[in-house]
Amino acid sequence: MSNTTSDDSLITTEVQTESNDESAPPAGAGTAVAARDLNVYYGDEQAIDDVSMEIPEKRVTALIGPSGCGKSTFLRTINRMNDMIEICRVDGEVEFGGKNVYDDDVDPVALRRKIGMVFQKPNPFPKSIRDNVAYGLKIQGFDGDVDARVEESLKGAALWDEVKDQLDSSGLELSGGQQQRLCIARAIAPDPEVILMDEPTSALDPVAASKIEDLIDDLAEEYTVIIVTHNMQQAARISDRTAVFLTGGELVEYDDTAKIFEDPEEQRVEDYITGKFG
Amino acid sequence: MATDNANADGFGEVSRVRGIVFEYLSLGASVFGLVALGVLLVYVSIDAFDLANASPVWLLTYFLTLVVPFLAFCLYSANDPAVTRRALGVLGGGLVAVAAVFTAIETLLVPIPRLNWQLAYLFVVGAPVTAYLTYVGSGERVGAVGFGFLGRLLGGAALGLAVGTLFLVFDSLVWFLAYTLGVVPAVALYAFGSARSVPQAQTAALPAGLLGVVAAVFLRGVVPTYPSDLLIYLWTIAIPVAAAGAFAVAERRGRTAAAVVAGVPLALAAAGGFAAAGAGLPAPTVLLVLVLTGVPTAVYVSRVVDAGEGLVGFALPVLLVGGVVAGALIVEALGVPAPDPWLDPSFLTEAPSQTPTEAGLYPAIVGSVIIIAMVAVLSFALGVGTSVFLEEYTPGSGPLGTLTRIIQVNVANLAAVPSVVYGLLGLGLFANLLGLGIGTAVTAALTLSLLILPITIISAQEAIRSVPDDLRRGSDAMGATRWQTTKNVVLPEAMPGILTGTILALGRAIGETAPLIMIGAATTVFRAPDSLFSRFSAMPMQIYVWAGFPQADFRYGVVAAGVITLLIILVGMNGTAILLRNRAERGN
Amino acid sequence: MTDSTESPDLSRQGGLTRLKEGTYGGLFAACAVITLLTTVAIFVTLLSDAVVFFRATPIAEFLTGINWSPNPAGGGQAFGLVPLLIGTLVVTITAAFISIPVGTLTAIYLSEYATPNARSILKPLLEILAGVPTVVYGYFALVYITPALKATLFPEMSTFNALSASIMVGIMTIPMVSSISEDAMSAVPDELRQAGYGLGATKFEVSTGIVVPASISGIASSYILAVSRAIGETMIVVVAMGAQARMPAIREAAFGIPFINPADVLLESGMTITVAMVQITGGDLTGGTLPYNSMFALGLTLFVVTLVMNVISDIIAERYREEY
Repeated sequence: MSNTTSDDSLITTEVQTESNDESAPPAGAGTAVAARDLNVYYGDEQAIDDVSMEIPEKRVTALIGPSGCGKSTFLRTINRMNDMIEICRVDGEVEFGGKNVYDDDVDPVALRRKIGMVFQKPNPFPKSIRDNVAYGLKIQGFDGDVDARVEESLKGAALWDEVKDQLDSSGLELSGGQQQRLCIARAIAPDPEVILMDEPTSALDPVAASKIEDLIDDLAEEYTVIIVTHNMQQAARISDRTAVFLTGGELVEYDDTAKIFEDPEEQRVEDYITGKFG
Repeated sequence: MATDNANADGFGEVSRVRGIVFEYLSLGASVFGLVALGVLLVYVSIDAFDLANASPVWLLTYFLTLVVPFLAFCLYSANDPAVTRRALGVLGGGLVAVAAVFTAIETLLVPIPRLNWQLAYLFVVGAPVTAYLTYVGSGERVGAVGFGFLGRLLGGAALGLAVGTLFLVFDSLVWFLAYTLGVVPAVALYAFGSARSVPQAQTAALPAGLLGVVAAVFLRGVVPTYPSDLLIYLWTIAIPVAAAGAFAVAERRGRTAAAVVAGVPLALAAAGGFAAAGAGLPAPTVLLVLVLTGVPTAVYVSRVVDAGEGLVGFALPVLLVGGVVAGALIVEALGVPAPDPWLDPSFLTEAPSQTPTEAGLYPAIVGSVIIIAMVAVLSFALGVGTSVFLEEYTPGSGPLGTLTRIIQVNVANLAAVPSVVYGLLGLGLFANLLGLGIGTAVTAALTLSLLILPITIISAQEAIRSVPDDLRRGSDAMGATRWQTTKNVVLPEAMPGILTGTILALGRAIGETAPLIMIGAATTVFRAPDSLFSRFSAMPMQIYVWAGFPQADFRYGVVAAGVITLLIILVGMNGTAILLRNRAERGN
Repeated sequence: MTDSTESPDLSRQGGLTRLKEGTYGGLFAACAVITLLTTVAIFVTLLSDAVVFFRATPIAEFLTGINWSPNPAGGGQAFGLVPLLIGTLVVTITAAFISIPVGTLTAIYLSEYATPNARSILKPLLEILAGVPTVVYGYFALVYITPALKATLFPEMSTFNALSASIMVGIMTIPMVSSISEDAMSAVPDELRQAGYGLGATKFEVSTGIVVPASISGIASSYILAVSRAIGETMIVVVAMGAQARMPAIREAAFGIPFINPADVLLESGMTITVAMVQITGGDLTGGTLPYNSMFALGLTLFVVTLVMNVISDIIAERYREEY
């Protein structure tokens, strides 16, 4: 990725095409996830600084910002994966489905069954492709037709044609890009409402990455996609809304992607996008 | 290292003498212990097999009929002219070198007791070359098939004998009831649950099984008649083993092949069992050996035949048996005096005796097998449970975190407590306080389980820690509970490592003597134990007792045979563990 | 805030799932607690019988007595620890003379000189030394080492003697020294070595002058562990060293300075703490007698000594881990 100013125009054009294609304005959709006065600390260090934002349903929302700005932390507060980190402390609310996920009566395990997650490095289980996709169904006690759901999910992840003859071979035998799509298939198999993606293409080559980007576009028809990326062109290409985090976990600007990349309100955001900073 | 040979002109030269001397000194130190152990092992083998009395002709005959064909097989498998040249060079050159050096030492310095140059050649050159060629040969397809085939034959037979031994003390009737009422329904429920996607059935499997087992214990005295032992083993062990074999083959090759692979060994084993019963032999053991050898071998053969490579390897067992028979015939025909080994079949099947030539290890072997089986179950269960708790269930901070750290430090310290102290624990707690009895198998098994528990836990922890965190997070993010992540992701990945560690720890348990002495294990028993609460002996215990006998025949003959038996069992166990680990590493 | 019709159920799952999770967690915790209970049980078992023993034999008498005869044929029962301590010390020190130099050199060779290939073969082979059952080592010492030493170096050696046993204990503990020391040496960062080479040091100078001092605490902790293992070793000494609790003869050299001739101790039989414990098991094991209780007093001594050594070794090792 390059942050030089010469790329700026390129980004702008792409965004324009994209936003012209969009028929429904993002702001009109319902809210899938909302953060209210969210503060996250790792020990004494503040990773998220008083963030409030509403993430629209069935849209792609990108979280961008320099390394260490808290964008991944924010993503992980949504499905409470931060619970795994002992020194992590969360203040404020994250609303999902009309409920604060940090309420005492919320089971993080139940929460994660409604919110899928795709990681930076593809992490298929050392099991067959079929078992990988069926994993979520198995642990949730799904009692329908597993094979049909596996096929559906693999088709949804644009992987079916490539693996339909080798469903019983190990998921580890696939290429990196295929593994990541397998992980996406695994995430969508239990039919979650939101899919979190933590830099899903950064470990992949450009061709594989562009396949994932196309896939994200399709996924947004059925799911709310929240994607962390450090690749601004990617954010511009695939997202409807973009949130810019800057150092210290501060949400500096959050708006329609086109607006962020063409005419940001904040000078700091413009500096970051044009590569003067970060 | 560039600095090592940077002796460019004009810079003078820094003396390397000290460095070179030091390097060779440290190399010498590295192999010192191994060489010392090697020499001792050579002598104990000579004593156990009476090789000192083997005539050169006898040695030559078996070298030609047994060793040479085996080496040829390995070389054929390796199929590498360079290896062949090297092996022949070492074998030939070694012959001259060993003969010359040996003769020189004997004439110039001191006579070397109980060794001649032919034996020295076999141990110094023959054994390492054989080991090396076995290693190289087994790396290629033909050798892999040969050793895989041989390993399944021997391993199956050993397992069959071990399982048969267990039923000397465990009540086969309770087992029959528990299997019929507990295991079968549980497995059926679970299989039904996975096939039809009925999670309730799967959940119910374990409680149902436990219920059946409990019922079995109560019904044991109520049920008036039972089938014969042979039928019980056929139903509870032979048929499930065959079914498992069939299952393994069916996925790959379809039902007909599965039926053949499972059916033929099962039929043979059943026939063998009934024939043995007719002939007055221990029929259940014959059945177990045949089925545990036959089914895995049949599965293996089917897989190799499928792959269609290295079929020549199946000739290896024939080659070895043929070599032994041919050697025996030639020795007989030539009238060569054969050595009279202390370690012979009767040594393994007879009871101890005051007469060296009649002394046997049988009751001690049975005792060891029974103890180790119980230790295996106990230490595996406790070890896995503890390590899962420490690695997967506890946070690093808070009160629970403190507890975890205490347990961790405690485990490390327990690993260093002298084994004799565990013996006192067994004596004071299990034998006297809990009344399990002095010198009983139960007391011994509990004591040894606690003794190796720290080792099992530490190695299991390492295996669990080596499972990448990515996988755990992936599973957690799918909404898996902690147990689901542990069961579905962590344990399957860590299992080869856990098993390897457990088997290595069991190797430690099987050789432990001091705790057995402390809990009052019998010095000599003449009958195999028939219950968990009968006095028993174990192999190392018997070795200890015999080593105290003053007669030379005991010191240099019977004990040597016992030591070799114990070491062979240890090597077998550790070899299995290492194979398991290598296989798991290759799998990833 | 939301127009999604039904809100997802995020509440904690009840009933069966919770029960299942709790059951497994509880089972694993119970397993872990068993390890704690083991320590407690060891301590309580040893202490309860040792207390009875110390009521009959004062601790001072136990620690300073120079006569050990728990089961005398003709009366005169005595429980003096000193001869046993001497026996234990002799074996431990002699064994350390083998395991420490050999183990350290082995560690240097493995960490600094050996090719990766040689290391991958040597390391598992060395572990074999620690895996051979100790009763087998004891047998080796008795029937091979002792006659060999007798035939060559020490014709006056007795059949049961401390030297052969110590040699075997030493060989057995080599891997303990070498593997922990090697870990410590391998943990020395390569930059330190590079710095040495940059100054024109030879490999020998780097190994002995930089790597060894840098990893000294790890090496020291390995020595302590090996010694602690030697102290607790039972079967080798039981089989090869005999069972005579003796005080060594004190000789007078020039000017009346008393000294102990090592040959008096090494070439004769002796008794260690562990041997004394094993010897008592020949008697009554159901408890209640003084010799039975003395066994637990000895066990307690052994337990405390090895525990203290392990804790010291842990503390030392902890320091070197912090350094990098």
